[in-house]
Amino acid sequence: MHLMKSSRPSAILGYGAYLPRYRMSTAEIARVWKGGGSGPNAEKAVASMDEDTVTMAIEAANGAMQMAGVSRLGAVFVGTESKPYAVKPTSTMVAQALGQHHTLAADLEFACKAGTEAIQVITGLVGSGMIDAGLAVGMDTAQGRPGDDLEYTAASGGAAFVIGRNGKGAVALIDCSTSYVSDTGDFWRRAHEKYPRHLSRFTGEPAYFHHVETAVRTLLTETGHKPTDFKYAVFHQPNPRFPVEVASRLGFTIEQVKTGLLNPAIGNTYAGSSLIGLAAVLDEAQPGDRVLLASFGSGAGSDAFCIEVLDGIARKRGAGQTVRSLLERNVKVDYSTYSRYRDELHK
Amino acid sequence: MPSKAYIASAGFTKVGDRWADSLLDLAVEAATSALRRTPKVKPQQIFVGNMFSAFGAAQEHLGALLASALGMSGIPAVKVESACASGASAFNVAYSLVRSGALDSAMVVGVEKMRDLEPEEVSQALALAESAEYTQFVGATFAALNGLVARHYMERYDVSRDELSAIPVMDHANAVTADHAQFRKAITPDVVSRSSMVADPLRLYDCAPVGDGAAALLLVNDRAAAGASPGGMAEVLGGQIATDEFSVYEREDMLDFRATREAFKKAMAQAGLSARKLGFVEVHDAFSVVGALSLESMGFSKRGEGAKDANEGKYGMESELPINTFGGLKARGHPVGATGVYQLAEAYIQLTGEAGKNQVEDADFCATQNIGGVDTTSAVHVLGRAG
Amino acid sequence: MAIQAWRVKDRYYRLIGSRCRKCGAEYFPPVYRCRKCGSADIEDRQMPKEGSILTYTRLHEPLPGFEAQAPFYLAVVRLDNGARVLTQLVDSPEESVRTGARVRATVRRARVDGETGLIVYGYKFIVV
Repeated sequence: MHLMKSSRPSAILGYGAYLPRYRMSTAEIARVWKGGGSGPNAEKAVASMDEDTVTMAIEAANGAMQMAGVSRLGAVFVGTESKPYAVKPTSTMVAQALGQHHTLAADLEFACKAGTEAIQVITGLVGSGMIDAGLAVGMDTAQGRPGDDLEYTAASGGAAFVIGRNGKGAVALIDCSTSYVSDTGDFWRRAHEKYPRHLSRFTGEPAYFHHVETAVRTLLTETGHKPTDFKYAVFHQPNPRFPVEVASRLGFTIEQVKTGLLNPAIGNTYAGSSLIGLAAVLDEAQPGDRVLLASFGSGAGSDAFCIEVLDGIARKRGAGQTVRSLLERNVKVDYSTYSRYRDELHK
Repeated sequence: MPSKAYIASAGFTKVGDRWADSLLDLAVEAATSALRRTPKVKPQQIFVGNMFSAFGAAQEHLGALLASALGMSGIPAVKVESACASGASAFNVAYSLVRSGALDSAMVVGVEKMRDLEPEEVSQALALAESAEYTQFVGATFAALNGLVARHYMERYDVSRDELSAIPVMDHANAVTADHAQFRKAITPDVVSRSSMVADPLRLYDCAPVGDGAAALLLVNDRAAAGASPGGMAEVLGGQIATDEFSVYEREDMLDFRATREAFKKAMAQAGLSARKLGFVEVHDAFSVVGALSLESMGFSKRGEGAKDANEGKYGMESELPINTFGGLKARGHPVGATGVYQLAEAYIQLTGEAGKNQVEDADFCATQNIGGVDTTSAVHVLGRAG
Repeated sequence: MAIQAWRVKDRYYRLIGSRCRKCGAEYFPPVYRCRKCGSADIEDRQMPKEGSILTYTRLHEPLPGFEAQAPFYLAVVRLDNGARVLTQLVDSPEESVRTGARVRATVRRARVDGETGLIVYGYKFIVV
């Protein structure tokens, strides 16, 4: 067996998503670099000049804490590939802003799956009884080299989850998960480099599809669940096509995928990508619904989860901002504004 | 033993771009000019009013520096700082000691060297007067704080753009004939309302300019007055400093200039005068709105009507109560730590009849008001003709 | 400057101000003594994160270190407990910035010490 299941059940007690206000159309990027056309996604979410992973994680975490109604955290983990500092934890800044000091704090890095790893680790800490509750954040201000294919999709945003013991008021049970990794260099950023590099088509079959399919098939086989047992399925979304394609290969329908499929509107928020999709699903799921969550991180690996929505969702939902409201609250920017936002304070 | 206190002499430099002169050059020029008028008066102590010589000229210890340069080493010499009110604050300390009898004579020199700095460095220097942790921290300049006050003022009292421009326009008109003024060109309200935006709604011509300058005064009591020329004295009848809550946004009412109100009330009481006796007033118009609020807080205009009154000519040179008789901060210039001393020097030459084309006739008494911060410190002095 | 900011980080990140234990008045920035009753019996207090604009300005020439953000709005915000805070307004379209507009607090980068220095974070407000 490869399933990871905590001895005591752990559950999501609250969650909060965050998207910066600004959107740039990929047609605008194509206009600048190619004279026309567009990218795979229609728009991408762009952080303002004074936003970074720390500020966005604080926003998301405040929403999650408010919904969870928890005052103490035993762990604060931030999964990101866009740490403001190479050395100096993002997680301690987030913990300070939440008033949490007697807590484990760590930054996790695994390209786009660092956020789901944080959920797994905290599920284990809660499930073992080491802590009562912890915070897992997946958040990025992803950057692509100007003109590179990545520039069309690399976006900013993510979500935070407070995970604690299953009990009254819990929003969703984290039933079990599995992880699958291999040494696959599809996408990387060397130390001291500003932008990542990638091996274009290699990022598909041997990287994304192989790892996500293997992780999800392992989860399905070992839990005995069929795709039809899930109301929703959320996959990592580097572009609009990959999650739909992998869903189809695994036997999931577009109906199951569409609620959590945000890439066309916001682009790829990296460590935040599958988690903001999960937040969108929780915004509308009903008690008893089962959710499949599968991340993908280059380098490479995939974490697949089986999540069951609980009664607490009905009472707690609506306390904070929904993903829908974050999507609707947007201002379009042109390439010059985007360049200014990206460069000025992201140094 | 308490005594009367008099200004026995004044000296000042032209305000403006003094590229060839250092901070010390300017201070020495003003001091030498003041000392020359009364060779028999030997100041027993020097008080230097200055705000940011450390930031702007990498120089502190100005008291000893100036005493030494003047060949007066040996006597006590200190710097007094309270932001833009440094000049009048230095004067107030000297005045209090002379009046108390602790000193028979003192020299006050206000000096600021601003033009060596780039514009953003000037902003940084002026912002030192405001909270590092809560005002500078948000990127707010001193002009920004006054912009916040100006909008509040215009919205609460329905003050128009042109009404707000009245004080700068009047200041410029008064400075045309002032030899020492930085700007000697008359302007129209359009010039103000079309100038570049600094901190909305405040535009460039709402704000006092950046300039170098120094001014010096000699103070004497009855004992030392014998060495001064009898016709060349003005009596200091009262002088008070008051403070308000540090940051303007912390105050219950941002438009109530309480420091000026208190300092003016107490200084007038000390002088034993009613406001009607004043022949003119030198007002701290670092920003148009600050000039208006100052006039209101001293009771010359009703609340909300300072700018409107100015616009209707209530404070012109031909009026009952002229203000800023050499152009005020806006047109004479605002070499920060020297400004309060300039105001007092101008009041002095008015009272001794040496104001030339800017002479206010029949003025027996006057007041000067010098502010640090957004009326965080206010130093008000009341002067009268000697004898 | 980095250490000056570190010292007050809870004030910057969480709007921790002051409350007078005697009369209940609340303040931001924090105070040593109550301005209303004069008491020195003061405790730290988290401020409400919402309020309304008392007055505002659009600053075109900010302090050094803030040029990249210019022009930007500054406002005096009256928090819902009566405390008054000077703050930048962000993510707030021009037409939304008005006296009386409702605002809420967020945390943003306040100042960055070049490409190698520390990043200082702090409160800014958004028109809601």
